[in-house]
Amino acid sequence: MLNDHLPLASRLNRRTFLTRAGWGGLGATALVASAGLRRASAQTATAHPDWIPASSKPPKRSGVLTRASAWDPPVIDPRLTQSVGLYQFAALAGSRLVRYTFPDEAPGPTDMTLKGDLAESWQSSPDYRVWTFKLRPGVKWHNVPPLNGRELVAADVKFCFETYAKEGVQSFTFQEVEGIETPDKYTVRIHLKTPNVLFPQNVAEPITVLFAREVLEEDGDLKKRFIGTGPYMLKEHTRKVRVVLARNPDYWDKGRPYVDEYIILSTPDYATRVAAFRTGQSDIIWLASPSEVETVRKTNPNAVVQSYHNSLTPFGMALAQDRPPFNDVRVRRAVSMAIDRQKQVDTLFEGHGIIGWGVPYIYYQDKQPTLAQLGPWWQYRPAEAKKLLAEAGHPNGFETTLFYYEYFPQMTSQVQIVQQDLKRNLNINVKITKLDYTTYYGRYVDSKWEGLAWGFQSGHAIGLDERTYQYMHSKSTKNFFRVNDPVIDELTTKLRQTPDRADQRALTRKIVDREFDQVLRMWMPYDNGFMVFQPHLRNQAALALRRTDGYGASTIGRVWLDK
Amino acid sequence: MYKYTLRRLMLAVPVLLLSSLIVFGLMRVMPGDALTALMGESGNIGERELAKIRKDLRLDLPYHEQYVLWLWQMVSLHPGDSIFTGEPIAVSLRKAIPVTLELAALAMVLGLVIAVPIGVLSATRQDTASDYVGRVVAVSGLSLPDFWLGTLVITFAAIWFHWIPAIGYVSFWESPLRNLQQFLLPAAVLGFRLSAATMRMTRSTVLEVLREDYVRTAWAKGLEGRIVVYKHALKNALIPVVTIVGGQLGTLLAGTVIVETIFALPGMGRLTVEAILFRDYPVVQTNVMLVAGTLVTLNLLVDLTYAWLDPRIRYQ
Repeated sequence: MLNDHLPLASRLNRRTFLTRAGWGGLGATALVASAGLRRASAQTATAHPDWIPASSKPPKRSGVLTRASAWDPPVIDPRLTQSVGLYQFAALAGSRLVRYTFPDEAPGPTDMTLKGDLAESWQSSPDYRVWTFKLRPGVKWHNVPPLNGRELVAADVKFCFETYAKEGVQSFTFQEVEGIETPDKYTVRIHLKTPNVLFPQNVAEPITVLFAREVLEEDGDLKKRFIGTGPYMLKEHTRKVRVVLARNPDYWDKGRPYVDEYIILSTPDYATRVAAFRTGQSDIIWLASPSEVETVRKTNPNAVVQSYHNSLTPFGMALAQDRPPFNDVRVRRAVSMAIDRQKQVDTLFEGHGIIGWGVPYIYYQDKQPTLAQLGPWWQYRPAEAKKLLAEAGHPNGFETTLFYYEYFPQMTSQVQIVQQDLKRNLNINVKITKLDYTTYYGRYVDSKWEGLAWGFQSGHAIGLDERTYQYMHSKSTKNFFRVNDPVIDELTTKLRQTPDRADQRALTRKIVDREFDQVLRMWMPYDNGFMVFQPHLRNQAALALRRTDGYGASTIGRVWLDK
Repeated sequence: MYKYTLRRLMLAVPVLLLSSLIVFGLMRVMPGDALTALMGESGNIGERELAKIRKDLRLDLPYHEQYVLWLWQMVSLHPGDSIFTGEPIAVSLRKAIPVTLELAALAMVLGLVIAVPIGVLSATRQDTASDYVGRVVAVSGLSLPDFWLGTLVITFAAIWFHWIPAIGYVSFWESPLRNLQQFLLPAAVLGFRLSAATMRMTRSTVLEVLREDYVRTAWAKGLEGRIVVYKHALKNALIPVVTIVGGQLGTLLAGTVIVETIFALPGMGRLTVEAILFRDYPVVQTNVMLVAGTLVTLNLLVDLTYAWLDPRIRYQ
């Protein structure tokens, strides 16, 4: 009787178990193999365009655009945060003096032409210390109290920039400002402490949106209201639920924007964001790998896929290069040569990734650098690495530590692969500590850590000045990688005084070459990813350093819905 | 009864004080603070300015002073503002609590609706096919983690039905239908997990009670099976079930974070976890105390419910 209730357990002898386990194992192997085949086939399926040209049809003005977003703005006060949660919409509600091209103006994703946003024109003094911006007349603040649609004037820009310089997280960008004059209603004259030919780029950064003086004076902060002069007005911000932007009917660029409402839905879970896209609740999604794209295209075959090509990697190994053993360039070079970056690209990013470099390549060459172009210390040469490390006095390797925060799921695997490479090739024992964001960030920017850190450079910066001088100069507070190289200091300073574009490219090339040669920042592979859009979106494409769903959100100002 | 209730309430005071000390201490032990998180990735704020903000937020006070200040805020029902967002905590809670309560209540109802009938069925038809099915369901509920089940449900709903609950929370009073649509799947995921333990408990206690003398007497009297099971056996069998259901409600209130995250619901779970990640001390402390207070109250209610279910229980 009992046996009838326990059919499997009672009748399962060792032989039967092994037989079944064998078949089960075969089945599991087949499943894994087929998954591998699927993945392999996905690797070849990256033939998506890297650019979506503007629509030739006349734009329609209507509809609601939605996007399920991973990010939530911590606060809506632009003085207090550089979080992508805020800047995924701040540049739509606000404006900057200058902006980069939108997808419908750009010939391709790497176009970095500056256009006037609030400024109609700008020019510098011969020594590049004084920049004069002529404002567009007739630009109105959003028609809500306390601004009630009054005109934006030069004094607003002066107040805003001076406030930014005085306190908050944007102060570094504006601390080079010595003074601001407003000779008339539409002229802003900015005096810099030192010459900077790249200053217009700095005021085109998405984080330099102008805020309203009246709001700050009435509320004491900008946490409750965001009133700007942008194409959209902030209609609702409910934390962890949604941000709703409504079309600004008084926007200076008549006829624009085209979409009536843009709704950003707070959706922290990745699977839910994908499901939202699949079911049409979200019009835009970022997918990291080719296999994810193919999976989504099974349910959404008409989705428009743009193969994104990153112009830089935000992450790399930061070394405490101000102290042993990493103050020895031979150690840095040996470590770099012991890491198989191509393996990371092939396995973790399914072949759709970049090898890793920190300065956007678009500022010094036309195409993404190849591994060979990064120079000898970036090739995977374990034998040479071992020899070099021995020359540096570490024939038996050494012990070190590495801490990191998992920004994306593959990062943990990446860190472990590096750990294995260093152990296998150089007998360097790396003790890894995974931290939560706040602990990681606090420790990282404190710049007192020993050994290694999985470092980052800020995600928002577009301009060359940010990516060179501000991130690499030894005196910069954004120099998280602790670069302290007199040649770099000299070159990055000189770059700020070099007006000619060709000369800038040549100088940037020198900075990058120096960085690679000295292995000052040990960049790691990063995904290229894909922007995926619903088929009815027009004039929508991600540009270099301006991803539609992040800091490049201002590009949504030109999107229209063809339905 | 009053004395018992009063004594239990008095006992709650040291429990809550201890909880407050633990949560306050743990948050201070964790490295980093809300300002570090808020400045995230900017790296361009000076120590002097950070010190000024810390002073404004009274984070520069000695720990014991911060603790006393916070206790006073809690007692006076003004828990202060979030360091991270600047929003008054009372406002955040007013938004988050209804979401979690609704989710928990629906999950509880769904869980009970599934668990009790199947548990009883399993017990009355012990060792039959329906019993096995019930037990398999129960074991599945216990073994399948919420994050897996939730992800699976939302992914396959999108693939098979081209439908998922609307993202972007809408309150019940704003649109009851849309609200219920949003809560149905997450409540089912949570309810399934809850039902597992309840079902197993119902089955075992009903089995035990069915072997009691008074039940045998009821059978001997020739009463209908339905009356014996539901009127005589089930009522007594439910006492341990109520105990675990009470505990589960507490767990639900404190543990909905994964389901809230997957289904994008702005409840207490997300609020608390975000506050922990960003070291938003006042929010974490207030939320934990709220959960602690709720658990203490629920335990009291469970104990009081015993009396109603079993008149033999008397409080001395």
